[in-house]
Amino acid sequence: MIANALTVILIFAGLVFFAAGTAGLLRFPDVYSRLHALTKADNVGLGLVILGLMFQAGGPADILKLLLIWVLVLAAGTTAAHMVAQRTWTHGEFESDR
Amino acid sequence: MNVLLVLFDLVLLAGIVGVAWRCLASTDLFRAVVLFITFGLLLALAWVRLEAPDIALAEAAIGAGITGALLLVTLERLRSIMAERRSGRRHTPPPDPTGPHALLRALHDPPPERRTFLPALTFALVVGGLLVTALWHQPQSVGLEPVVDAHMDISGVDHPITAVLLNFRAYDTFLELAIVLIALLGAWSLGRHDLIPARPAPGPILPGTLRLLVPVAVVTGVYVLWAGSHAPGGAFQAGAILGAAGILLVLARPRQLPMAPGTPLRLGITAGVVLFLLVGTYGLVAGHGFLGYADAWAYPLIILIEVAATLSIALTLVALFVAGRPAGDDT
Repeated sequence: MIANALTVILIFAGLVFFAAGTAGLLRFPDVYSRLHALTKADNVGLGLVILGLMFQAGGPADILKLLLIWVLVLAAGTTAAHMVAQRTWTHGEFESDR
Repeated sequence: MNVLLVLFDLVLLAGIVGVAWRCLASTDLFRAVVLFITFGLLLALAWVRLEAPDIALAEAAIGAGITGALLLVTLERLRSIMAERRSGRRHTPPPDPTGPHALLRALHDPPPERRTFLPALTFALVVGGLLVTALWHQPQSVGLEPVVDAHMDISGVDHPITAVLLNFRAYDTFLELAIVLIALLGAWSLGRHDLIPARPAPGPILPGTLRLLVPVAVVTGVYVLWAGSHAPGGAFQAGAILGAAGILLVLARPRQLPMAPGTPLRLGITAGVVLFLLVGTYGLVAGHGFLGYADAWAYPLIILIEVAATLSIALTLVALFVAGRPAGDDT
């Protein structure tokens, strides 16, 4: 019962972060601030969702798998953000960004 | 069976064949596209007559509607390109509302005027209400679950989805693999690929991350393939993971990767379909029916097919991403 309540609270908190990150992606003016909103919010949001799901896991193996998913997404997301930022730094913003 | 219905079916059949022939034989591209759309609608009607309304809807929407629209847009684009060539000067086409940057532009446009909010809200409420109603009134049908459960012991695997995909309905899976292969052949028939022009990103971050991620992706892919016999997983998922790892490698170091030689690449890409077909034909000869297995051999054969299919799917995904035949391959 407490585990279920914690799951619901944590996942909803994660969804709030996702929504904030998406709003930032759509509304912020340039590439860097968009990346800032997207990566930070999504990393924390996904972390909260994963943490919430851990309370529903069947055993230590499932918990480790969930943790692995979060770590992998962190690594991939960080690299992607770095590459987008670097491309912008060397080549300037894309045309359609004005 | 009604005489009128038989007559209708015969006319429909003749119409489908006739329209297909006219479509292929037409020298006017616009006429061919219109005939193709007509063909799709007649085909949808044929599905209705075969009492498969879902497929009829899909055929009408995808086959006739979306594909027809795509072909018409392509035709328009072709015409403007040809006109440009003929006049010998470049004129910039007006930004079209369906282009690749349309979404970006739409996001940057000023927010819509307030009077569009009410219709949009109404529309969203109506669609949402319909979705909720549809979910609420789901029919209490048990489907084929009991049938699958009753036959699990002869399927050779422990997971019902894998049992359905590779044993009970192996035909569908075989055709899916064949379609993936045909998609690649279509891409290859369009020409030889150029090296991806983008320079690899400078700096140590991307190669370092890939050194970590690619081994993890390979292990995960093999695990997902292996898990398919008793848990959710299987060849398509494993192939997608391995293919993603391959695409990342291609993207990170396009010029340092050795080009895959043509013959092993082709063998790998066709391995899934060929092995599936061989096993299926053997089943036909041995009396288990096409794509059927002897009960004792079901598990090893399924694993064998899954391994080959994983390899083929992964290679095909990378090849589709690169697009075009391998270089130095003049056949």
